Amino acid sequence: MPFIRKVHKWVGLLIGIQVFLWLLSGLVISLLDPAKVSGQFLASPAQLSAQNLPSGNLLEPQELAQDQLEEALSIGLVMNRGKPVYRIRRSDGVILLDAVNGSLVVTSQADAVSIAGQDYSGDGAIASVERGTAPDMETRNHRGGYWRVNFADDVNTSLYISAVDGRVLERRNDYWRVRDFFWMLHIMDYPGRNDFNNALLIGVALIAIWLGLSGIIMLFGRFTRHDFYFLNVFQVGKMKVITLVDAEGESVRRLKIRQGANLFLALAEQGTDLPSVCGGGGDCGKCRVKLESPNLPEPNPTEQGLIPKALQRQGFRLACQHHVADDLRLHLPKNRSQ
Amino acid sequence: MRKRAIYIRLLHKWLGLLVGLQVLVWLSSGLYMVLLDIDFIHGDSLVKNMQQTVTMPQNSAIDISDLRTRYADATAITLTPVMGRPLFAVSTPNETLLIDPQSGKLISPLDERTAREIARFHFNGDAVIKKASLITSDPPMEIQTRRLPLWRIDFNDAYNTSFYVDPFTGTLVTRRFQYWRIFDFMWMLHIMDYQERANAHSLLLKSAQVTGLLFCISGLWLLFYSFPGRRRKAADKS
Repeated sequence: MPFIRKVHKWVGLLIGIQVFLWLLSGLVISLLDPAKVSGQFLASPAQLSAQNLPSGNLLEPQELAQDQLEEALSIGLVMNRGKPVYRIRRSDGVILLDAVNGSLVVTSQADAVSIAGQDYSGDGAIASVERGTAPDMETRNHRGGYWRVNFADDVNTSLYISAVDGRVLERRNDYWRVRDFFWMLHIMDYPGRNDFNNALLIGVALIAIWLGLSGIIMLFGRFTRHDFYFLNVFQVGKMKVITLVDAEGESVRRLKIRQGANLFLALAEQGTDLPSVCGGGGDCGKCRVKLESPNLPEPNPTEQGLIPKALQRQGFRLACQHHVADDLRLHLPKNRSQ
Repeated sequence: MRKRAIYIRLLHKWLGLLVGLQVLVWLSSGLYMVLLDIDFIHGDSLVKNMQQTVTMPQNSAIDISDLRTRYADATAITLTPVMGRPLFAVSTPNETLLIDPQSGKLISPLDERTAREIARFHFNGDAVIKKASLITSDPPMEIQTRRLPLWRIDFNDAYNTSFYVDPFTGTLVTRRFQYWRIFDFMWMLHIMDYQERANAHSLLLKSAQVTGLLFCISGLWLLFYSFPGRRRKAADKS
């Protein structure tokens, strides 16, 4: 058990702060409303009905510029902002070709502003429009060029509109940005905020598991029946007599303590504070007292590490390591602070 | 100071009883999820031929113009490769239909034999198909919100691999295997949504998180009292 304790506190010292950050970031993420994080709360309801294709003359795929179709994964005739276009999906992204004249279709700044204005249901005005060619932190799941349309509202909404097909790629706002920051802390991917299989996270998680395992093992050793006496409405349980003896060997006090109580805590409860730094953890060895009893408890491994052999034989024990089993005479240390 | 150490130690012990097990569950489910590469979990190693390029149909009996006439309510007509062959997928407001350009005939919904062939075409291994079944209702949880019906093709391999093939588009919609299923179970444990495995904002989760946070803070606080050697030296100096 002292070894398990040692593992627990050293692992706690090593990575306790990260465990705190995991719990804190987990809490923040679950507290944030997903509809706000996704920007849905400031989005107009989606128009579900897709437009029918027109009946007039349109180009066939064979009539398009064939160099645009090389390595295409699919070629689809679809409606884009009221016009029939060929949507060419390629491994490097999507392009649109006009189905009437075959020319490349792009989403202009004016188009992007109008798309963003239709999608946005908040009351902020458009503050600025930026063109992006490579994905930034807020569009990291997309490839290809985009327009970033910024709105002047309380949550700094930015809509990202694809510069290719005019789709709304992302709706970002300060809720999302807070969430993303805590997500970064949670998965410990500080540059990319994306990869939860990174070596740092794996390493820390492999260490942290020992904090949990050692803690659970200690949980079994730490609780005794006495800890649950508060559930016992009749407060039954045998009382034992502890006689406190001062340095001169005079008996100074007699305490009645319920059988099974932790000696250190029971004395503290009754106003007799033994010296301690760690508060009953078995770390400091300061609550050392000499016990006299017909059946003196054997020193446990923690005590064997903190009390010299000779003193162990004289009956010295750590009060925090024992539960009251029988009547005892307890010699208070000289330097006991009252 | 001493009294405070006693109280914090007691607090840590009792909070440990309350959420200690859940904290261990968070740590171990998290460990599983970070240890296994997410692309592997998604089944990237189970599949092949996923990036097929589409070629122009040869000797076709029908073109897009004919299809627009035949299906006046079409919203999209897509040339898409199925097992290397270009097929037309026609989307209408109600359904998607697959047309063979060579015969001009409707071939969807795909029958069991074709669904098995498609699964075989994308399966990266030698295992034989154990079972094929058409799922029309009560979908297994592992296909989440995907549209039914779907062909489920089970392979006789070590991972209980299942492929899901859309009978209306011929695409491999998703694939599941043992490591994914364990991941999903770990995710359930991690977010504490034991029914839907989707809600990471439940009251149960939030209460456990708040308790866990107090548990952790009390533990960190205890660190100040738990290394008495250094404290004693510092106290001796003063």
